[in-house]
Amino acid sequence: MIEFRVNGNTQRLDVEGDTPLLWVLRDTIGLTGTKFGCGMGLCGACTVQMNGQPIRSCSMPVSAIHGQEITTIEGVGTMDDLHPVQQAWIDENVPQCGYCQSGQIMSATALLASNPNPSDDEIKQYMAGNICRCGTYPRIQKAIKKASRAMQRTGFAESSPNLNYELATEVQS
Amino acid sequence: MMDVTLSRRQFFKLSMTASGGLVLATQLSACGTDTHSGEKNGVWHADAWVKMDAEGQVKFLLDRVEMGQGTYTGLTTLLAEELDIDPSLIEVQFAPADTRYRNPDYGLQITGGSNSLSSSWDQIRQSGAAVRAVMTQAAGRVWQVAPEECSTMDGRVVHAATQRSLNYSDLYAVAVKESVPNSLTLKDPADFKYIGKHNQRLDAPLKSTGTADFGIDTVVPGMAFAVVSRCPVIGGSVKHFDATAALASAGVKQVVEITSGIAVIADSYWQARKGLNALSVEWDEGENASLSTQAVFEQYKQMADQDEGDSRRDEGDIESALSNGDLVISAEYQAPFLAHATMEPQNCVAHVQADRCDIWAPTQGPDVAQVAAAKVTDLSLDQIFVHTTFIGGGFGRRLSQDFVAEAAEISAKTGLPIKLIWSREDDTQHDIYRPASYHRLKAAVSADGKLTGWQHQLVCPKILSWYVWDAAPAQFPWAPKFMYNTLANAGIAGEGVLAPEDHSPFEGAESYPYAVESVDVRYTHADAGVPVSYWRSVGHSQNAFVVEGFMNEMAHAAKQDPYQFRRNLLKDNAQAVAVLDKVVALANWGKAPKGVHQGLALHYSFGSWVAQVVEVAVEGTQYQVNRVYCVIDCGLAVNPDIVHSQMESGVIFALTAAKYGQIDIEQGRVKQSNFHDYQMLRMNECPEIVIDIIPSAQPPKGVGEPGVPPLAPALADALFSATGKRLRELPLSLS
Repeated sequence: MIEFRVNGNTQRLDVEGDTPLLWVLRDTIGLTGTKFGCGMGLCGACTVQMNGQPIRSCSMPVSAIHGQEITTIEGVGTMDDLHPVQQAWIDENVPQCGYCQSGQIMSATALLASNPNPSDDEIKQYMAGNICRCGTYPRIQKAIKKASRAMQRTGFAESSPNLNYELATEVQS
Repeated sequence: MMDVTLSRRQFFKLSMTASGGLVLATQLSACGTDTHSGEKNGVWHADAWVKMDAEGQVKFLLDRVEMGQGTYTGLTTLLAEELDIDPSLIEVQFAPADTRYRNPDYGLQITGGSNSLSSSWDQIRQSGAAVRAVMTQAAGRVWQVAPEECSTMDGRVVHAATQRSLNYSDLYAVAVKESVPNSLTLKDPADFKYIGKHNQRLDAPLKSTGTADFGIDTVVPGMAFAVVSRCPVIGGSVKHFDATAALASAGVKQVVEITSGIAVIADSYWQARKGLNALSVEWDEGENASLSTQAVFEQYKQMADQDEGDSRRDEGDIESALSNGDLVISAEYQAPFLAHATMEPQNCVAHVQADRCDIWAPTQGPDVAQVAAAKVTDLSLDQIFVHTTFIGGGFGRRLSQDFVAEAAEISAKTGLPIKLIWSREDDTQHDIYRPASYHRLKAAVSADGKLTGWQHQLVCPKILSWYVWDAAPAQFPWAPKFMYNTLANAGIAGEGVLAPEDHSPFEGAESYPYAVESVDVRYTHADAGVPVSYWRSVGHSQNAFVVEGFMNEMAHAAKQDPYQFRRNLLKDNAQAVAVLDKVVALANWGKAPKGVHQGLALHYSFGSWVAQVVEVAVEGTQYQVNRVYCVIDCGLAVNPDIVHSQMESGVIFALTAAKYGQIDIEQGRVKQSNFHDYQMLRMNECPEIVIDIIPSAQPPKGVGEPGVPPLAPALADALFSATGKRLRELPLSLS
């Protein structure tokens, strides 16, 4: 039994430990916003956050996230309650095919949480792990700048993940 | 359904001569007599594209798939404009496979060739105009006034004289009984409220919240997951397999042999993948077992020697031009096979039952998908229901339906609803590739610096020879399956007569746009047995590199500025000149800062002219493209921001190919496998892209592909300026 939290909800799952987190999120839990792109951590389409840090869920065995806090695109914001990064994505018409964008947004929110006012160069370096085949990079750059300004203006603070939440006692024993 | 009798050419003539509101004489059957229209279960089906419910919610059946290029927004905008409602209020649904949704330019329900807006331009606006006319008639009936006295705005019919208005939803009950008038008036472009102005992508909210459903996100109750092991050698087949270990692997339900290899079916994707790793297969490598990229190009060169090819252009006297030239230059160019590398790997959900088959797939050709499923089941085309989804990148890859055939065959053989997912390695190594090509060129310049002769021999396969097997039966849905091969053979044998001619090998080369006295363009057919397909901008993707690359060579040889050299040869082509002039002005051509080198190219494809200036900085054997200037004339830009985004997209797609794109074959196997060795441009390498759109009142032309072709030749010339090295092979490498 593996236990971890996804977007604040505790998951207790009986899955093979070597299964990549990506497939557990998509096929076991049913959160399909996170995408499969390469299976080798090369493209970033599967990016989620573990305790606020971006990770490639396609090459992270689910056993390694026991007791951790996972955030997926579904936990970032919804249509009715958009995260400033998502709002900026919409305002700048970032997505084309849209397939990589969940991963892009997961990297972008992690970037802004750790560096609220990144330079153009810092954005480019940080986002270099996420491939977009449609070439939305110029708009991602603009949207991150825009979100950065909006978040500073409104004092938007990421709800900080609970880094060491208590595991349920029956799992610990 | 409307039966519009005007041909597109007639329409263009009309639209150029008509002043004010454009009246189209159309033969419209009354709504009620069309078997597809009328009210069903509280929903009014106005025609194949528009539905409305009693609450007034307009639903648009989008028949050109959304794969990033913007049909979801663009075509909806056409409907919204004529219907006089805000595009964001329309609910977009993906159209099923149906002959009514055939792309009028191809006779197939496919999305490709950058023609979605141009081919839907009349169709969808007329659909909107018909519904608007019905609403106006209904209001006229309610108010007992002539419909001509009524106007529409924001989803309402207005009678200005009496200051009355009714929402479309209020008129629903009356409107469903109305017939479409025999003549429809389309809006005067001066009155456009959304076309040319609307700048918001309607799918951006879904795609920014992870809620857009792609093919790979499809969930069907009881479905199992499948992966397929295919022969690593192109065209190889299964000799023998042992499924014992695979079947013993956790979660594996079945192992079945299918046409393309061995399928492993399990409760989850990961279990299927692990089961496949345990599978033991012995392959019959077939006739391509020793094929290599080198052998392909050797074959091409041999063919070039043996066969001077079919003439595609023969003007003036090329022999005399080349023998009398003051300066005669020859060159050989080549371009490699390329994979499409859509971000969403190929996938399909199929559920084959006794009397029906359901297909959920990210496909660019729903009716071609029907054929693929019909071939591997006992079902006929009308028993196959294709549910299209958002598509995670197409670029031509999903015109081929190999993944649909596999999923349907696995479902038929296992009796289970199946979700088939290709790995990235499957996707890279079993793609249907952009053809590799080889080119011989020769050109002459006279003593006074004029280009007097242009000779180009192209050697490559024909895409149609491969695609016809998938597509021909979809064009003849009445044909029994035993005729499928005959139809394909007839398509090949009757190319240009019975079937459309395949221009893909020489498009962009036969249309050589420069005013040169002697022009000789010839095509030599060669096919090395590697499956080939349409790849964003198709023949233009390699031919622009060759034609424009050699034009730059000739300009330098004649000691002329590449811009002036071209401009002098384009005097009668105002559209091309305008694009060229604009891009050099934008780029401050010829005045690049120290350490920055510029290159220029111009190309016409899919109805649009595009010129680009590339700025590059070189350090040793490394280069970085800092900036790209791009100007397009695509007719009327229905959504200017999407035109901008497609130019950005085209530039980055082309730069990826120019810098990294190469599929190599060794021992019949594709060498590259994933993004480490088939690299994509990343954000830290992305240039600044400066774009301008030439204002135009002409009907819209292509934008999805035309941004691709000029980049590589412009970059090659910028690298020449920087290093003195003339690169004639893609990808462009200085080492």
